[in-house]
Amino acid sequence: MHVGLEHFLTVSFLLFALGLLGVIIRRNLIVMYMSLELMLNAANLALVSFSRFNDKLDGQVLVFFIITVAAAEVAVGLALIVALYRKRQTAHVEDLNSMKL
Amino acid sequence: MNSSFLTLEFCVIALGIVLMLADFFVLPERKKYLAYLGIAVLTGLLAISFTGDGICSVFGTAFHGSFIEDPLALFFKRFFIAAAILVLFLAAEFSDRIIAGISEYYSLIVFALAGMLFAASADDFAMLFVSIELITITFYVLVSFQKNRLVSLEAAIKYLILGALSSAFMVFGIALIWGTTGKLNFGELAQVSSQFLDNKLFLTGVLFVLVGLGFKIAAFPFQIWAPDVYQGAPTPTTAFLAVGSKAAGFVLLLRVLFIAVPQVTQQWTCLLITMSGITILYGNLCALPQRNLKRLMGYSSISHAGYLLLGIVALAGSAGKSTDGGAAILYYLAGYLFTVMAGFSVIALVARHLADEDISSLAGLNQRSPFLAATMTIAMVSLAGIPPLAGFFGKFLLLKSVIAQGALTGHHAYYWLAFVALAGVVISIYYYFGIVRAIYWSKEAADLSPIQLSGGAKFSIALSLAGIFWLGLFPNTMLNLANEAAKVLGN
Repeated sequence: MHVGLEHFLTVSFLLFALGLLGVIIRRNLIVMYMSLELMLNAANLALVSFSRFNDKLDGQVLVFFIITVAAAEVAVGLALIVALYRKRQTAHVEDLNSMKL
Repeated sequence: MNSSFLTLEFCVIALGIVLMLADFFVLPERKKYLAYLGIAVLTGLLAISFTGDGICSVFGTAFHGSFIEDPLALFFKRFFIAAAILVLFLAAEFSDRIIAGISEYYSLIVFALAGMLFAASADDFAMLFVSIELITITFYVLVSFQKNRLVSLEAAIKYLILGALSSAFMVFGIALIWGTTGKLNFGELAQVSSQFLDNKLFLTGVLFVLVGLGFKIAAFPFQIWAPDVYQGAPTPTTAFLAVGSKAAGFVLLLRVLFIAVPQVTQQWTCLLITMSGITILYGNLCALPQRNLKRLMGYSSISHAGYLLLGIVALAGSAGKSTDGGAAILYYLAGYLFTVMAGFSVIALVARHLADEDISSLAGLNQRSPFLAATMTIAMVSLAGIPPLAGFFGKFLLLKSVIAQGALTGHHAYYWLAFVALAGVVISIYYYFGIVRAIYWSKEAADLSPIQLSGGAKFSIALSLAGIFWLGLFPNTMLNLANEAAKVLGN
């Protein structure tokens, strides 16, 4: 079987949809954060496969930027989740309820 | 490559590093005053941007076209630096409520400013992504800076999850746009984008990028985060979020919609009209029952994003022939900067010893400090859009550009949108005057001790007030600057 661009894109769309589903239905902050990383990596996969099949390198360069930025985002994000856990002893979104109308 | 285009950015980044390192050498009780070092340097940069020959008056591109210096970028750079100066004044007043790391707080404000300067000059999708992430990630930390308050952490987590979600959409959108067209540069994309108008992958990509930018400006349906984050964040962060982050979203939105994919934007005028109308109504209606001042300002900032979208609708409808809508957006943002900074300064000073910023904390303010009471009243009157202040003239320009577009094309949708915006203004008068009423006519004032103002606070509030009156009474200078900058968006 020949594996073409459309197969890679299908996988990338599936990964993106799985990540989005995870953010929407899971309630643990760490799992939600993992799902967000899955969405970013779906975009990376799409960029790399477009790059491979269109014979252009811009996309691969952009992937390096995205990986770097995602690492910075994780560093800040995990620190925030740890700070919240220390203060509130929870990592569930239902417990983030101190601000109401 | 000409790196002299990046003078402002280099200076701002250097300032951020100096402020961060100064933490090691400055005595703890003097760290508060580092803000004034930042203010001095930024004021110098603002002056250089007006007078410096050959630094900011030369236009061109750098880094293979990913960085552009043009009148639009210059206008927004001046705007962002002015905003950061006023935010640093506010942060110096606020420093006693930040338990540890005040110099890091200053330097993060300056780093966020660097992200905004790059955003103003972004001319391809890689630069757009990196600059917007520099702003957003810095703001995650800035929002959570009062670690002893649970609301501050909660607000930061909410901003983190929703912000990361929107940037995931944006990255995927960029991947689809690049994959279908093979272009990252806005100018190059504009030349080929008309061939892809029926390509579903390309249109999905543009839509996903709009999701990411819609989140930054807090437009419906991406506004969920705004009230909670505005309420929980430290007040200087809230002010910077309301002014800087929103304006950065708008400069990128203008460039993507009208420089990269103008044909798609024209097709989507209806979508933009709906978005603008619902954003205005949602922001104003939800603000009505609010009792927390910062939460109320959060909803009010959603409605102002809606008003600003009026200008984008007018630009989209005119297909590059008229740039009045763009000039109106720039003018409105300038007025919004001074008004919001005046409002948040008063909120920060009045709620100094209180746990939260309830409207009732304003009770008796006219006896405690007539100056602050007058400032808050003027800010609210300007936000409501009552002449002769800055907010009125900005709203007038935005409405005028939409109605002119309606008269030109004969579509009723433009008139309906103008009607919705006017209805929004009328609704907003109710809650803005609720604040004014709490200042002058509330009976249960518990605390009538006079409020002491420092010299810095008086000076920055006076600057904001001067800006509000200057833009309202003598609009010509700013209008000329805005018109010149908006010309970039026409063809």
